[in-house]
Formats: sequence, C-alpha cells, structure tokens
Amino acid sequence: MSDNIISISNLVKRYGDNVAVDHFNLEVKNGEILGLLGPNGSGKTTTINCLLSLLKYDRGDIQIFGKPMAPDAYDIKSQIGVVMQNVAVIDTLNVYENVDFFCGLYIKDKNLRKKYVEEALEFTGLTDYKKYKPKKLSGGLLRRLNIACGIAHKPKLILFDEPTVAVDPQSRNAILEGIKKMNRDGATIVYTSHYMEEVEELCTRVVIMDHGKNVASGTSSELKSSLINRETIRIGLPNKSPEIIADLKEINHVYKVLEDGNDVVIKCDGGEHNLVHVLSYLSDNNIPFGHVTTELPTLNDVFLEITGKELRD
Amino acid sequence: MFVRIFLYKIKELTRMRSIVGWNFLFPLVLATAFYVGFGNLIKEDPDTFKTIDVGYVNTNSQDSPFSELLEELSKETDEHIQVLNVQSFKDEKSASKAMDDKKISGFYLENGDKINTVIKENGLASTTLNQIVRAYENAKFQLEEITTNHPEKIEQAIKLQSKDLNLMKEHSFGNNTSRYLQYFFALIAMSSLFSSWISTSMLNGICANISEGGKRFECAPANKLVAVAAGTLAGMLIQSVSNAIVVIYIQYVLNINIGIPLGETILITTIGSGIGIAAGTLIGSLLPNPKYHVVVPLLFSMTCSFFSGLMWDQIKQLIQYKCPIINKINPAALITDSLFIRATYGRTDTYIQNIIIMLSMIVGCLFISSICLRRRKYVSL
Repeated sequence: MSDNIISISNLVKRYGDNVAVDHFNLEVKNGEILGLLGPNGSGKTTTINCLLSLLKYDRGDIQIFGKPMAPDAYDIKSQIGVVMQNVAVIDTLNVYENVDFFCGLYIKDKNLRKKYVEEALEFTGLTDYKKYKPKKLSGGLLRRLNIACGIAHKPKLILFDEPTVAVDPQSRNAILEGIKKMNRDGATIVYTSHYMEEVEELCTRVVIMDHGKNVASGTSSELKSSLINRETIRIGLPNKSPEIIADLKEINHVYKVLEDGNDVVIKCDGGEHNLVHVLSYLSDNNIPFGHVTTELPTLNDVFLEITGKELRD
Repeated sequence: MFVRIFLYKIKELTRMRSIVGWNFLFPLVLATAFYVGFGNLIKEDPDTFKTIDVGYVNTNSQDSPFSELLEELSKETDEHIQVLNVQSFKDEKSASKAMDDKKISGFYLENGDKINTVIKENGLASTTLNQIVRAYENAKFQLEEITTNHPEKIEQAIKLQSKDLNLMKEHSFGNNTSRYLQYFFALIAMSSLFSSWISTSMLNGICANISEGGKRFECAPANKLVAVAAGTLAGMLIQSVSNAIVVIYIQYVLNINIGIPLGETILITTIGSGIGIAAGTLIGSLLPNPKYHVVVPLLFSMTCSFFSGLMWDQIKQLIQYKCPIINKINPAALITDSLFIRATYGRTDTYIQNIIIMLSMIVGCLFISSICLRRRKYVSL
C-alpha cells in the first residue's frame, strides 16, 4: 500500500450545467493535516461528500486506504470519522447518549465502546455535561459534542468540515488543540475552513480550491513564497514629495510605492532588511517620519491573490 | 446493530414533545371531547345491544335441549358477548313477579313440547327473545323431519343447525351497534395514522438527503435498511402502545363499550398503526425535504380520517354508495370498518378482507419505501 490515505484523481461532479468539481486531484499522506481551502461554492463540501460516497459523481476515482470507496465499503467507513459543517446530533438524546449512539455504529463491543465514549467526552471537555440535552448546551459545547460524536470511535482518518464556525475563541482554541492531539496520536486529518489563521496554525499542507479545481497546494511557507509581495512597510510621511517617492522606489527589492493620505505604503518583493534600508534613507536625508509598521504576507493574502477579492455567493 | 438502533429510536421518539403531544395526549383529549358530546347517547342508544335478563320456567320433569341453548347463549366468548342472563324459576307466578319487579325483561315457559315467551314490553329485548324461540323451533322441526324421512342425512343436518346457531350468535347478537361509536372508531383510526410522522421523524436521522444527522449516519458502517427496519418497528411499537392506551381509556375510563374483546381491538389498532408507520415511511422516502415531513403526514391523516367519519359519521356511507373503492383504499376507513364490522357482525368475510387489505398496504408501502431508501449515493445533498 502506498503512503497515501486518500487518492482522488480526475474527480468531476456536475449539477446540471454547473461544474461543481472539475477534474480535481488530491492526495493526502498518512499522518498529515491537510487544509482544504476555498471560497464559498468552490466545491470543498461537494468534494468531501463525494469522498464519503454520499454523492454520485460524474467521473473520477476515489481511493481511501488504498481501496476504492463505495457506499457499502464498511471496512473503509469504519476507519473514518466525520465532523460535519452543521451540528449533526440528536436533540432528544443527552450528550452521553449521542456519543454512545454514534460510536455504537462503529464499535460493537459494549465495554470498549463505553471506554471510547468516556474518552471522547473527556477529550472534548464534556464529561461534566453528560446528562445535558444538546439544546441546553452553548454554541461552543455543541460544536464540541459534534466533534465527540465524529471521533469517539478513534478513526484513522478524520474529515473536519468547518468545525469552528460560530465558536468563541476559547472553544476554538480547545478544538484546534484537540485536533493537533488527535494528529499526534496518529490520525490523518482533512480540515476545511474559511479561517486562514487556523489553517496556518494547524495544517502541514494546504490545498486551495476554486471553481472546483485545485488551484494551489503546498506548505503554508511555500504558498506565501509564491507571492510577489513579500513585505509591506507603512510609514507616516507628512512632508512627502514626488522626489522622495521616486527615491524610495530606487531602494533594492522595493517594487511599488503607494500614497495613502499622510502615509506611504512600500511593497517589497524579497530581501531581508527592507525596513532598515528605508529608515536609513529617511534618516540620512533628514526626512521627518511618524509611525512605522511592517507586515509579512499571510495565507489570507495568498488566498485572496489566488481566488480574487470579489464577493462570492 | 438492529437492537441498538431500535432501542435508541424508542428513546429518541418517545422524548419528542410533538409525538407525546399529538400521538399520546391529543387522542385522549379528543376521546374525552367525544365522550362529553356523545357518551350518554351511546350508553342510552336503543340500538345498542345489552345482555337480556330473562327467566326460565320448565314445568317438565326433565331438562330439555332448549335449556342447553339458553345456557350456551348465557356465555361470553371471543365470538359474541353474553346474549342472555338466564334465571330459573320454579313456577310461572314467581317469574311473573320478577318481570313485574323489572328484574327480568321476560321469561320462557316450557310446558311439554311448547315454549311460550312471556314479555311485558315490546322492543329489542322482546324481539330477540322471540327470535331465539323461533330459531330453536325451526331447528327442532327440521331435525325431526329429517330423522323421520331421511335418517341417513341426520349428521349433516346437525352440522348445519349448529352453524345456524353460530350465525345467530354472531350476527344477531354481535355487539355494540350505536352509530355514535363510529366517532370513536374514527378517532382510533386517526390516532393510528398520526404515526405517519413518527416515521418521517425516524427517517430524519437515517437518510443523508434529509438531514446532517442522516449524513453522519450514512458515513457509518451501518446497513441503512436494517436501521430503517429497526426505526419502523420502534415507531410501530410506540404507536401501538398509544393506541392501546386510547382503547383502554375509552373502554375502561370513559366506560364506553366498544363491543370487541380488548385483545382483538388492540390487534386491529396495531395493524392500523402499521399502516400509519408504513405510509409515513413511504412519504418520507418520496419527499426528502424535511419541511414536508409534518405537513404531508398531517394532511394525509386528517383527510383519511375525515372520509372515515371523524367529523360526520354519515360520510363513509355516502362514499360507500357513490364510490365504494375509496373506502377500500382509505386506510382510516378500513380501520373504522374493521372495528365496526367486528363489533357488529363478528369475524365476517368482509372483516377478514379488510384485515388482508390493511396488511397488504403495509407490505406494499414498506416495499416501495425500501426501494427508494436503498439508495446510498445521492445526485445532490
């Protein structure tokens, strides 16, 4: 068996004339946390539904654990955990019963299941809420219950579809720490989110989807290094003049200088000491300046550059 | 897997307020409302058969076959209620006194070969008492004729006479025939069909094209049809218990005699629950959008119940006259019809036919549903 836990090749899914997934390819290696990013409607959830064999697709091949995925591939399904985008729990069952019910679909042995359920509750910090009905839980606790239901059976592959939507920072932090721990314990994780900082913090590799295609992939650093803009320096210059602007453009690695009110925004395409060079020029020429900030590119910049800044549905 | 899902579905469904309210409490409230409206009319309905207190005076020195017939009609069995409550008197005078004191409706005076029926007032009781003597004398005459002229056919004749006697018990003295009882039968039918939204709720957690919970379920290594079967059985059990509670409430708390042995009433209502559950499963499998999962079963239950006489007891007769096929495909009409026929005429061919149609409907709905629900991959979610 290859090292790939998931292999998707040439996946095509159409809804009428609309191509939701367009010859999409993906490989997820054992032990990695893969971030699947994309704007709304880019085809992330459709891809996950196809991956789980819930959706029919028009073309392509999906293999999980080296075997073709199918609705009745129970041996594969038994090793997968799914945390849905929307909370998928049963309102009339309490926290313990919910986790026990879903865990019971995977684990038949009663004692083992009990152990797993207790561990999942402890892992998600829900032990004190065992007897609570979902409606009594806060948004964060409910999300944690959603996770507990998806991971209690200790799957080898876990798919998280935007698990931290509408969650407060404390709960989000707890969820992310939990995911890291699951990965350390050996689970391979596919994580979709709109929160770039989460993906940057969590994922060992990132795939960006747009219009159903794989438009970029790599580690966070690799993706950032693909950007032209590598550093943005903003300086308050009340006495700026066309000559000063022209001089700034001459500094090594500066490729663009923009005026923004009393500020000047300097964009650099590389180099390691750009700020030092800019400040040296100002000080050598006795040009007074105010505040100075510098920003390195983020995954968000990569995402916006690749997918565009226009609003999506 | 089956047992676990079955037990969890029971837990899940019995904790749903809508099910507790509509399937358990609402029928009891409606039964109480009907009781307030027609309870006394049923109890005082002149058409309602009541056991007849009758006296028996035998001036002959030995027991007669007629006394054996009276003894048979004094028993209550699964087939018929107790027709007669016979009290023996030594002489005509003491029997007349008991009749004057209204302890008995009338009495039979057997003297030699002759049996006289002595009654004080005309009515259902007097007609019944006369009918019994007439039937007995006809049978006796025919047997004597055959014994004399065709002794070889005596065995066959006895068999026929015995069948005639059974028919008399089942048909003439079936049970409760009050027209107002129809409302309670229609209520039981409505309650049975209310189980249709138990099914749609049950499917909600199993099918990926209905809910997120369904998606999670279908991601698990669990056989979907086993889960649907477990859920269907759980729903049917819940509704059968609810129906049994309604029947017991009507019979023993409201004290309205349904006229059918309790076990058999529960059997009919359990089949009714099966129809409701099967219909709901079919609705859920054909209409995956959850926003229809209460509206459509509600419309289905109320429409069927309306045409079975829930709001106007004559509508079923009107349909029977104009378009009888509707009564044969309306599950609520089949349930009320089965209850009515069983209460009035006993286990007739029509009763058996209705039961078979209902069972066929259950099998048919579940079969079509299973074809629709077998699908594990969807075109869209």
